[in-house]
Amino acid sequence: MISSAEIVIIGGGISGCSTAYNLAKKGVKNIAVIEKSYITSGSTGRCGAGVRMQWGTEMNCKLAKKSIEFYENANDVLEYDGDVEFKQEGYLLIASTDKEMDQFHENVKIQNKLGIPSKILTLDEAKEIVPYLNTDILTGASYCGKDGFLNPFLTTDAFYRAAKRLGVEFYTYTQVLDIKVENGRVKSVITNKGEISTNIVVNAAGGYSKVISDMVNSELPVYSERHQILVTEPVEAMQAPMVMSFSLNLYCQQTPHGSFMMGRGDNREPRDLRITSSWEFLEQMAKTITEVLPPIGKLRLIRQWAGLYNMTPDKQPIYGKVNEVEGFYLAVGFSGHGFMFGPLTGVIISEMILEEEPTIDASMLNINRFKEGNLILEPSVV
Amino acid sequence: MRIDKHPILDFKRGKKIKFTFNGQEIEGYEGESIAAALHASGVKVLGESILKHRPRGFYCAIGNCSSCLMVVDGMPNVKTCITELKEGMVVETQKGKGKIV
Ligand SMILES: Cc1cc2nc3c(=O)[nH]c(=O)nc-3n(C[C@H](O)[C@H](O)[C@H](O)COP(=O)(O)OP(=O)(O)OC[C@H]3O[C@@H](n4cnc5c(N)ncnc54)[C@H](O)[C@@H]3O)c2cc1C
Ligand code: FES
Repeated sequence: MISSAEIVIIGGGISGCSTAYNLAKKGVKNIAVIEKSYITSGSTGRCGAGVRMQWGTEMNCKLAKKSIEFYENANDVLEYDGDVEFKQEGYLLIASTDKEMDQFHENVKIQNKLGIPSKILTLDEAKEIVPYLNTDILTGASYCGKDGFLNPFLTTDAFYRAAKRLGVEFYTYTQVLDIKVENGRVKSVITNKGEISTNIVVNAAGGYSKVISDMVNSELPVYSERHQILVTEPVEAMQAPMVMSFSLNLYCQQTPHGSFMMGRGDNREPRDLRITSSWEFLEQMAKTITEVLPPIGKLRLIRQWAGLYNMTPDKQPIYGKVNEVEGFYLAVGFSGHGFMFGPLTGVIISEMILEEEPTIDASMLNINRFKEGNLILEPSVV
Repeated sequence: MRIDKHPILDFKRGKKIKFTFNGQEIEGYEGESIAAALHASGVKVLGESILKHRPRGFYCAIGNCSSCLMVVDGMPNVKTCITELKEGMVVETQKGKGKIV
């Protein structure tokens, strides 16, 4: 293991790999990424991997739009030998109350203003896109054909390989145990395989972000929460878009392989780091999906898993420096949508570290917004 | 071929019943699995592999391997080795991953 680095990035998920890639592309040498398990072992490898521009806050819309533009060309830009499997066949957001439809109207207005090609659909129009949708329980829908999803393993692998080619050192199965601070500055990162002295540390530890921030005594207003997914046996292609509902609490997509992947949240989840699977989830998920998309009830379940959402009070990420320590940067708190922001996360954090002109001004996502009460709540999350 | 005598298992043969395989009428016995009835009637190829379309037949016979998936009464992906034969069943070779809508 190297004994010193220009920048140490903690976490080998989409955020850490994208940040490493962007920094290296800008010419930074001597970057180390430390991952306690394998690349994508955290939330990134456990996520629904959906990418959508249909958000309720301008900031989320902008981050998602730029990231999706990146994903459209990811194979080329990252010079990837494989294929990140971007299936760009839309997100169909379905509403079950009038209030929710009002929200959709407001969201679509913001989205259209930013150049996002989303639109409000009648129930008949929604049925043209997903014919077996049970519209009896719905009030309307919104749709954006440019949304979609990717394979999270291959996407992260593409960033990882590109970063590696640019000279980034990756240390997998290496756990960060502590971070040394001297005179208010980051000094070194202590791992179970050795110590690396550095002036700059990026916390991209996903569900473990608070554990890492605690190491430098920096207060982080986030908590982690388990979210589960199940996957069915494959069948021939029958559903183009991701179907998602906030009020009915579900998202469901058919992967290119033919299997259906679906998930939902549960507000009774304890706020801890567990990622065990539960039968309650299977029961609730199966009930919900057979009501909304009845034919899917005929499919057999193949497996289930869980991962962590790293939640902030306004459900938007935290980017940037902290007040307590110099040289310590945050790329955390993605609140269940950090995969889709991945490409921009790397751009934003690299620009902040190198003090460059920002591609998107994300300064409002700094950590002080919580103390100052400048919260803009994202209304549209599962 | 059907096993009539077995050292530890007792086969009680049910009554003769009729079903169809790709439109052709076949006889089997009540109490057997679909795959057993097909096998005894000389049907060895139950399906095909998805990528290379190679023949697939009776393999694990205990519902674990998915080698015997067929379309039964319109439902795809039925494990015929553990699904009991019923009078009048419509059994068909499955092409591809199956359609449910
Ligand atoms: C069920 C589920 C569904 C989701 N669906 C979507 C979706 O559809 N779209 C979307 O955009 N997002 C979705 N998300 C959210 C998304 O997965 C995350 O926001 C995103 O993956 C975060 O990436 P990351 O790189 O920041 O964190 P992670 O991928 O969690 O990476 C952090 C890494 O840090 C490592 N680490 C932690 N502590 C240490 C340490 N001490 N030393 C060394 N390494 C350490 C971990 O092992 C981990 O690999 C979903 C999440 C879940 C759980
Ligand atoms: S032969 Fe293996 S599942 Fe039927």
